[in-house]
Amino acid sequence: MTEIANPESRELLTVNMGPQHPSTHGVLRLELVLDGEVVVRCRPVIGYLHTGIEKTFEAKTYVQGVVLTDRMDYLNPLGNNLAYSLSVEKLVGCEIPARATVLRVVLAELTRIASHLMFIGSIALDLGASSPFLYCWREREKILDFFEGMSGARMMTSFIRPGGLARDIPPDIVASISTFVDTMPGYIDSYEELLTGNPIFRERTEGVGILPADDALALGCTGPVLRGSGVALDIRKSNPYCGYEQYDFAVPTGTIGDCYDRYLVRVAEMRESVKICRQALDSLPDGPVQTSDRKVMPPPRAELAKSMEAVIHHFKLWTEGIRPPAGEAYVGLESPRGELGFYVVSDGSGRPIRVHERGPSFANLQALPKIVEGGAVADVVACIASMDPIMGEVDR
Amino acid sequence: MSVVDDALGTIFGPEAISVPADGIPTVRVPLAELLSAVERVRGELKHSRFVDVTAVDHLTREERFELVYLFYSLEQRTWLRLKARTDRDAPSITPMVPGANWYERELYDLFGIHFDGHPDLQRIMLPDDWRGHPLRRTEPLGSEPVDFTVTRSVYARD
Repeated sequence: MTEIANPESRELLTVNMGPQHPSTHGVLRLELVLDGEVVVRCRPVIGYLHTGIEKTFEAKTYVQGVVLTDRMDYLNPLGNNLAYSLSVEKLVGCEIPARATVLRVVLAELTRIASHLMFIGSIALDLGASSPFLYCWREREKILDFFEGMSGARMMTSFIRPGGLARDIPPDIVASISTFVDTMPGYIDSYEELLTGNPIFRERTEGVGILPADDALALGCTGPVLRGSGVALDIRKSNPYCGYEQYDFAVPTGTIGDCYDRYLVRVAEMRESVKICRQALDSLPDGPVQTSDRKVMPPPRAELAKSMEAVIHHFKLWTEGIRPPAGEAYVGLESPRGELGFYVVSDGSGRPIRVHERGPSFANLQALPKIVEGGAVADVVACIASMDPIMGEVDR
Repeated sequence: MSVVDDALGTIFGPEAISVPADGIPTVRVPLAELLSAVERVRGELKHSRFVDVTAVDHLTREERFELVYLFYSLEQRTWLRLKARTDRDAPSITPMVPGANWYERELYDLFGIHFDGHPDLQRIMLPDDWRGHPLRRTEPLGSEPVDFTVTRSVYARD
């Protein structure tokens, strides 16, 4: 130890972060090349959760496919059901009753709130604050209880299906959703009290992981990541589906695109989601929640005893499934993470020949090296958390 | 909508344009003109935001893989689809559109489509030593043997 290290000859160190790292949100591996504390190069390695879901779709009927969509982005199961159902409905060309459309909006927004709660909890936890996680989990539990009450499952509900909903939501659950929606803004205030002004949290996120708008667009980022960089693209506004044009809500955007901006955008989005839920519940019409198109949804049980035609439809639907005409459809929608769409190709048979999920996490994660390189290794954790990737959707 | 359609017709010729069930205008181009078509879609037609690229394996066709590109216009707020067919090789759009990087790697991995000019064409989902391309329709459906070392000799494929 007599020689003093020459600062010119930098010694680079390659470190694997993950795949079993608690802050990599699933099984993501980052190959980090470090120069001291500075990240010189970052290469995400994905595929640890690859389960061949797109291949499995080809062996399933269109209704069975709904079950697979839950398992992609497991924090946004109902949003995934919705995206897939919209694509299949475009292929078939069937009309959805008004009540089902409004309930779909309520469910999609509740899922968005639940997903963003998970985001707030986990970014805080990753940065060393463990209490926000517990508070966020408390409200997320309430939303999962609603899902359990209406479908029997807490996460993998498969509740939204081509042709409408699996069944109507019981009135007592609609009432508790309504109460929850009224109390939620107070809870959001309490999370903000814990984090938004917290000097440690701001220190760890402000100016960290800056993603300029040009880069975000070039790398295919969408959702809060793109809006955090200041591009006000929200598909609910720009290409409304499910009647989003009737609801009054804002599209929050950030300014410089750092981790703090992405956090603020998501918190503001929760408030907008609460507003949308309130308006949707106030305008909730009565009526059926399933289409009367018997090639898509089975007839009600009571009809089977009286009508031979109903029996035939029931039999055909549960043996062959939905048979859309040959063609293709993509419907993009705004998931909690960005543009989500299913590209479904039919050859006229009861099973799709190709289902491809354009998932937002996959594209957003591509931008991770951009925001991580040049920063400190400790900030990598904040950067990953602020992208909010769900590896189930990245790897499929 | 109609402005885009008119512009599409004059650029690519009306016979190349179709509109499927989802209402997204679709342009079919020969593989050789793919890069210039992407350039025109992003430039003249202002559909500059790359959304997605995927492939569909039509096993019985001459050029079996259909590449499906999706672009979005922030000004017109519409999607635009671009299609080209290939049997194995295709030009990479990654040098032009960095966002296509992982998507092309995924197609290389799962379909075995080779993208010329891609900066980092390696498997992305499957291990590097994996044999075959699972999303090809020649691969078994729903009965993929689980890859353990002890079963490798039993299920070995070439």
